[in-house]
Order: sequence, then C-alpha cells, then structure tokens
Amino acid sequence: MNNAPHILVIDDEPQILRALRTILTEKEFKVSIANRGEEGLNLAATQTPDVIILDLGLPDMDGVEVCKRLREWTQVPIIVLSARDNEKDKVNALDHGADDYLTKPFGIEELLARVRVSLRHSVQKQGAQSKIVKAGDLTIDLVWHIVKRGDEEIKLTGTEYKLLAYLASNHGRILTHQSILSHVWGEADADHTEYLRVYMRQLRKKLEENPERPKYVVTEPGIGYRFMADE
Amino acid sequence: MTSPLSKTWQYLFSVVLIALTTTLFYFLRDFLNTTIVALLYLIPIGVITGIGGLFLGITSAILSFFTLNYFFIQPYYTLSVHQPADLVVLTVFLIVAVVLSQLMGKAQAGVAAANAREQEATQLYELSVALTGLNDESAIAQTLAKQVLSMTKAEHVEVKLATDSFGLPEKTSPNRNPDLQISIQTVRNVLGEILLWRAEPVITSGVKRLLETFASQTALALERAKFAQSESRAKVLEESDKLKSAILSSVSHELRTPLSTIKAASSSLRSNEISWDSPARVELISAIDDEADHLNLLVGNLLDMSRIEAGVLKPKREWNMLAEILGGVLERMKHFAEKHKIEVNVSEDLPLVPVDYVQMEQVFTNLLSNSLKYAPINTIVRIDAKVEKDFLHVTLSNQGPQVPNEDLERIFDKFYRVTATDKVTGTGLGLSICKGIIEAHGGNIWAENLPNGFAFNFTVPLLWDGKPAPKLPIDSEME
Repeated sequence: MNNAPHILVIDDEPQILRALRTILTEKEFKVSIANRGEEGLNLAATQTPDVIILDLGLPDMDGVEVCKRLREWTQVPIIVLSARDNEKDKVNALDHGADDYLTKPFGIEELLARVRVSLRHSVQKQGAQSKIVKAGDLTIDLVWHIVKRGDEEIKLTGTEYKLLAYLASNHGRILTHQSILSHVWGEADADHTEYLRVYMRQLRKKLEENPERPKYVVTEPGIGYRFMADE
Repeated sequence: MTSPLSKTWQYLFSVVLIALTTTLFYFLRDFLNTTIVALLYLIPIGVITGIGGLFLGITSAILSFFTLNYFFIQPYYTLSVHQPADLVVLTVFLIVAVVLSQLMGKAQAGVAAANAREQEATQLYELSVALTGLNDESAIAQTLAKQVLSMTKAEHVEVKLATDSFGLPEKTSPNRNPDLQISIQTVRNVLGEILLWRAEPVITSGVKRLLETFASQTALALERAKFAQSESRAKVLEESDKLKSAILSSVSHELRTPLSTIKAASSSLRSNEISWDSPARVELISAIDDEADHLNLLVGNLLDMSRIEAGVLKPKREWNMLAEILGGVLERMKHFAEKHKIEVNVSEDLPLVPVDYVQMEQVFTNLLSNSLKYAPINTIVRIDAKVEKDFLHVTLSNQGPQVPNEDLERIFDKFYRVTATDKVTGTGLGLSICKGIIEAHGGNIWAENLPNGFAFNFTVPLLWDGKPAPKLPIDSEME
C-alpha cells in the first residue's frame, strides 16, 4: 500500500470529495483531501503527492493562482476541474502550469485515464522519454523523425512533422492552441489559430483513416488538441 | 451679412450709374424737358436702393438732385434756379426720390430679417431632427457641437455634459477663456454647457439667442434619452421576469423527469432487491448515466439562455474550419444518429470562418438533435455548406414533417413548440439558443419547408473586421 500513487484532491464541494475519495481509494490510490486553496498548498508541500486534482472554483483563492504557486517549486502533475463553458478559465489554468482538465460533470473512466496519463508523464520527466510512440497502426519514431503506417512511411512536411512530434511526445495530454503555436511556429505566431487549423487538416489527411472523424489527433473544443496513443 | 468690400463696390456702382445716366440725358437734353428728366432719374435711384439699401438710396437721391440741378435746369452749370416751375420740379423730385428710397429700403430690411429668421428656423429644425432618436449622451453632445460649429463658423466649439465632453474641430480647446458660455439646463437642474470661441466677428445677440434655443432643445433631448434608457431597462427587467417564470414552469417538468428516473434506478439498486448479476442491474445503471447526461444538457441550455438574455454571450472568435467543428459534433452524437442516415457535404476546402468553436458546436448539436428528433427513422438528414458572397451558408435538411408556415419564425422563440410538450422531450430552448449564437456572430438563421421535408438554414460571416482569413506561411518540405 505504501507504493500506491498519492493523489491530493483540492475541492470545496463535500459531495464531490466524498465520491472521489470513495472511488480513488477503491482503485488503490492513496487519497488526501483539502477544502481550500491555502490548505491544498500546505498539503502539497508536506505530503508530496504524485498527482493533484484541483477545482478552479475555490472559496479562498483562484484555482489558477494555486497552479501558479505550485509551479513555483514543483512539477507535480495538476488536473483541473471546472464547470462547463469556462474555456477561458481552463485555458488560463493550462497556460499557467496545469497539465490537464476535466469538465464537471465527468465520468470516472475519464478521470482515471487522465490520472494515468499524468502519472506516466511525471515518471517520464524523471527518466528518459519514450522514443517511439505507437497509436493504432501508426508508429512515430521521434529519434529518426520517421512516421509509418504499418510498414509504409508517411511523408510529412517540416512543419507537419514538428506539429506531430510535439503532440506525440506529449501523447494523452491536452496541449493548448497557444502552447502548440508557440512551440511549432514560435512565440510571435502564438495567436495564429488559423495556421493550426489548416495544418491540422493536412496532418489528419495523411494520418487518419477518416480525417472527418479523427482517432489519433482529437480536438478539445475551444482549448486545444490531444494525441491519443496506445496506453 | 454684407462684407466691407462689397459695400465699397456698391458705392462705386451707384456713382457710376448716376454718372452714366447723367451723360446719357446730357446728350438728349435738347429733346427732353426737365420734368421728364427728373422722372427718369428715379429709375437709377430705385435700382441703387434695391442693391444698396436705404442709406445708399438716399445718398444717391441727393447726388441726383444736384446733378439734375447742375446739368439740366437753366441756367446750366450752376446750382441756381430761375424758373419757379423748375424749383417745384426739383423739390418734388427730392421728396419723391427720398420717399421711394425709404420705402424700398424698409421692404429690403424686412426681407433680410425674414431670411435670417427662416435660416434660424431651418437650423433649429436641423438640430431637432438630428437630435431625435439619439439615446446616448455622447452622440447628443457630438451632434450639438457639429450644428453649433456649422452655424457660427466659430474657431472652436465645446459641449460639456455630466459624463462626456466633445470638442470641435479638434479635441483640445484654445488656450483662452471662451467668448460665449451657455448652460444647458432643464427646469430642475443644469445638465451641461456650450462653450464657444469666436473673436471675429463679434457674437451678436441674435446668435446668442439662437444658441440658447439650441441649448434648451438639447436639454430636452438629454431628458428624453434618459427616459428612454430607463424605459428600456424596465422592459428588459419585465422580459427577464417573464422568462424566469417560463423557465420555472418548464424546468420543474423537464428536470423532474430525469431526476425521477435516477431516483428510481439508484434506490432500487440500493435496496438489494435486484441481484448483483441480473441484466436489470446494467440497465438501471446505464439509465442513471444517460439521465445524468440529459440533466447536464438541460442545465447547460438554461445557462446559455440566461447568458443570451443578459447579452453576455460574446463569441470568442477564432479562425475555424467548419468541417472540423461538424466532425466533432457528429462523433459525439453518433449514438443518437444510429437510426438515421447522415449525409455530410461540407468541404474541407471551404474558407475558414471567424467563429467561436464551442458555440458553433452547440448550434450544430441543437439543430441536429432537433432534426433527428422529428425526422422519421431510416430517413436522410443532410448537411450542406456553401459560400455565398461574404457569408457561409449552411443547410440542415431532413425528411421530417413540415411546420405550418406561420410557425416557421416562431420555432426560434423561447419555449415555443409546434407539437405538444408531452410528446417530445427537451427544454424548448435549443433553437432559440441557436438563434442567439448565430445572431451574436452577425449571421442569420431561419427555417423553411421543403417539398418533402424541412430544413434549417444559417449563415455566418467569412470576414473578421472586414478581412478574410490570412494567408499561411510557406512550409518547407522535410529532407
């Protein structure tokens, strides 16, 4: 039980806390709970959790502020929870250090999937990153810059590859428009969502079986994109 | 209104005209008698009075008196008179000429005054026309400043109101005290003032009086604007009140239905009456899950509607690809669409549109779920998109029942349903949310009956601040 991943949940709603504690404990996680931002920050410092689940609407401080304060000293994965329709808050939290988000109400499978991805990425930060990403019949070799479907190589342009490589090396995680744009095109072009839309279409045409219903590069409405690799 | 230069010209003209007349009569002197000459002299005097006014008329009458005496009354070239008859002619001439000038001059002044009054009336009328229908202070200040500037030809005009001030022709006023200051006030309080800078020509009392009238017109317009604003606020409050009660009645019904299902399912799962491995258990659990989603949708719709009502639904525009938005919606709705055939004709090569991704997703979701709800199973639901001038025109057509023509517009109203409430589920908000979103984007939405079906149409602009989607940087091929 001592090796069980430790999850810190920071939320002020008792019903959510009750449900999350029950479910996560059942899944053999170690769970700590904080009702307020200040309390959460203290617990994060003293108990060094492996993942933090953070509600954006806390009574004492802004969730984004909690993200910022945590990022001053730790790289622990943060999954933010927020009500629907607050894309701005979510993007803001993601751009200030959060790793992923979930919209309330959420299904538990979704939550567990996010937790798993976060744990994997936190392990990778410490160790070596995976050099080959597999998704369905796609293979992306991040060392040799080779993308294959089955045995057949897919020809990508420079920008397309850069885009895919960034998404794939962060597979499972959401990447905001801004973070993709500034990573692939540079800070100066961070507002040009139109580049992203057009290149994403080209990329999907080359990668996806049905570009209209993408399986590998999925859109997160109003927020960004996520690359879905095999677990 | 006449300038000094034209005054000089008028004097010159009078002298020349009398000189010409005198020369002409001088050559005809032997054929005309004195009385006729005197009579003919009245013509140029009349003309001069007509042009130059009373003073010039009398001056030229006196001038003519002397030339008549000098050139035409014997003895010639002296101012003495020998014949008593000539003396009578001269006297009568002087009296007639002066009286004629006076009468004409007065008439002229009357015409000028009437013209000035007409001009004042026109300017006042223009101001009041310009002020009608203006409901905010800054627009009123701006209009007043423009009118005052064009009327007075001042160097600078400034209109100061409680919340706003407006200067013309530039924003900053001259670095000295204004030459005229008129306050804009109602019976109860002072609302602002008009400041005017014009050193030359000096501001007359007529101009000042007109400006005071302007000020009182403006005071009226300001009061009217205030009333209009408070009235529209009252109207909004009343509307939102109506909406609230409509929501309450709809919500109590709509929210309770899924809640009842959830309660029934969860309590029976809890009661141990259903064995752990029975298929009913799976059925009940998925009922809870589905109804929770349904509840979430209802709450979302209510939230959106209240946002649209409050006017705070501002699209977060970005360049988006319609095909991508639609693809996401179809993927999420595939379970609902299993019983229909969906044909999509939305090319990826359509230009990018400046829309809010999440809001457009909602438009598609609501229109599609509405189409799927009413169209008979195993029929086709089609989605087409094409460019029409500066807009993208999207059509969702289905083979469902037609809607009576008089209801085609009303289906976008809140809580409006063509069919009875208990037959079809929903909040009655979906379509009005679509309308709110599309209109916030600057587009249009409407419904139409097709020969064998029904269609929703909407347009969204292709331009963002008047500009189309920008060109992309050139991509380098991978080595």
